[in-house]
Amino acid sequence: MKHLKSFNKKAKMLDRTTSQDEVEDVVAMQSMVGCTSVNDPGWEVDPFGGLGSLCQPMEADLYGCADACWWPAQVPDTMSTHPNWSQDVSKADEDWRKLDSVFPEE
Amino acid sequence: MALKKNKITRALLGTGVLTLAGLAPAQAQAADGESIIRDRCLVCHTDTGDASAPFSRISEQRKTPEGWMATISRMQQQRGVVISPEEKRELVKYLADNQGLAPAETQGLRYVLEKEPNVLESFDPLLQETCVRCHSGARIALQRRTEDEWKWLVHFHMGQQPTAELHAGARDRAWFDIALNQVAPKLGNDYAFNTEEWSQWQAVEKKSLDGRWAMSGYLPEKGQFDAVVVISQNDNDRYSVTLEGQYADGTPISGSGKAIVYTGYEWRGTLTVNGVKMRQVLAASEDGQTLEGRMYQRNDDVMGGKVIAVKNSAITAITPSYIKQGERKLLTISGNKLNGSISLGAGVKVISIIARDEERTVVIAEASRTAKVGSRDIKVGRTSADDLLAVYDELARVEITPSDSIARVGGAGGSIPKQKSWYRAVGYAAGADGKPGTADDLRLGYMPAQWSLKPFDEIAEHDNDIQYAGTIDNRGIFTPGDAGPNPERKMSTNNVGNLTVIGMVQDGDQTISAESHLLVTVQRFVRALID
Repeated sequence: MKHLKSFNKKAKMLDRTTSQDEVEDVVAMQSMVGCTSVNDPGWEVDPFGGLGSLCQPMEADLYGCADACWWPAQVPDTMSTHPNWSQDVSKADEDWRKLDSVFPEE
Repeated sequence: MALKKNKITRALLGTGVLTLAGLAPAQAQAADGESIIRDRCLVCHTDTGDASAPFSRISEQRKTPEGWMATISRMQQQRGVVISPEEKRELVKYLADNQGLAPAETQGLRYVLEKEPNVLESFDPLLQETCVRCHSGARIALQRRTEDEWKWLVHFHMGQQPTAELHAGARDRAWFDIALNQVAPKLGNDYAFNTEEWSQWQAVEKKSLDGRWAMSGYLPEKGQFDAVVVISQNDNDRYSVTLEGQYADGTPISGSGKAIVYTGYEWRGTLTVNGVKMRQVLAASEDGQTLEGRMYQRNDDVMGGKVIAVKNSAITAITPSYIKQGERKLLTISGNKLNGSISLGAGVKVISIIARDEERTVVIAEASRTAKVGSRDIKVGRTSADDLLAVYDELARVEITPSDSIARVGGAGGSIPKQKSWYRAVGYAAGADGKPGTADDLRLGYMPAQWSLKPFDEIAEHDNDIQYAGTIDNRGIFTPGDAGPNPERKMSTNNVGNLTVIGMVQDGDQTISAESHLLVTVQRFVRALID
């Protein structure tokens, strides 16, 4: 690896995660209750324990991942469980206010 | 075969279900749990004919009340079960009582039931790579199933969320095979359906919680409080509750509501406190003398804190929990049935008593200049509490709790509210070796602090997260920014941010600060009873 040089921003971030402090930050944020550690891409947190590699703004490509139930504990999967969750919001980046959370009936 | 596949049977029984659902609530309530299962669940599940496990799948699992509630809700939302709210409540009670978890089986995992925010978990890597990628580890560890049941759960996930095997950490290995043939047997062993703990708990005689209790706790908006809680039993395991007391600054705290006890010890209260709807998730001790857990706002579960209530004579808190050598200060001792002389330990004198009743005593105390640094046992009459008050020489370091945290953007006219976070500063003296950060440091307790924010790293600084991600107030409560794309930011990025929270504690002439990491991130669109 010593002959390879980080080229873009993401690769430079990856280089930096080799410091122990940063590894601990990454582990901490990804082991927090309520956050998913699925991070290709991540939902709350990126593979480096930060936000730089998340899809942003998340509304721009929300359905690209939600439809494939990428984070089903964070975003309703419209493939199997909540097919109608976003049916009235065709453009999430414009109508994001209409997107509600799903919750168990009580 | 676990489930019936006969659609005609299902359709016919479905008609019956609808008819029964139209019954008056009183009649529905009268139905016991077993008949509700027969009427509502055997549309798909089967009567096995085995008295020890009469219903397919249902009889091979044990869960918390929230676990059963989530299961029945999923059956309603996704499997078409029709059940009245009254029957559902009755069924959750029946299942949690008869197929619940023993107190020992929830130990160390209650944070997820209590909705405690910013908990960091550490589970076996095998679980981490399968279940804990999406769920909390506690969600899994708060279930008990037979090995076959754990295997069916793996199959369920593959049917319901098949992309699970395409995630990073899954697609590079035989994920399904590992989940089915390594993880499920491990879960069947670690979280087995039949356990010694559950057999023992079933044999324990459960105590009524009826009576007059003293509660102490902390709520982030107003701080430490004490209250008298009167619990009156209305019916088997059903109670009405009143709560009357005051915060440390003298502001009254007052509320009332009701509660249900599941599994003989799982207290779930719903109260209106000072006009705000709140929930209590508490565990009763086996002797029925202590209730301990968390009380939080129903619509904002981050905003809550630990509470403890005692029925017998006990000291629950001293506020503040530290006094400096040579210092004279006001201390409040909280507890129940506190009578008799007050002792604050060697080198600490009670100068005068400012106010006193059985639950709350306010004193002016003084620590001598030569009082030995260390913790003191507190005594009121015959009641004592160990290591409750710290005598210190000087503040040596501060920790901010939680050390890692998240908040989520929200509001701004959208359906999902902001998820806040809040912080407290814990002070330490250096201890006998005079060096802070070593094992003999003396914990002083929570100290007032001044709060501020700064960018966590260069990227956060470059993206100007500090301007958009939110603000922190003088109570240490962080309120995140508005939801939605922000056209002011590069690429219309959300108001997310990577921040450092700084707490600065003043002690005499000294100022010591400490930091904690806060990630302000996006909303969560799934609200789970158990994360």
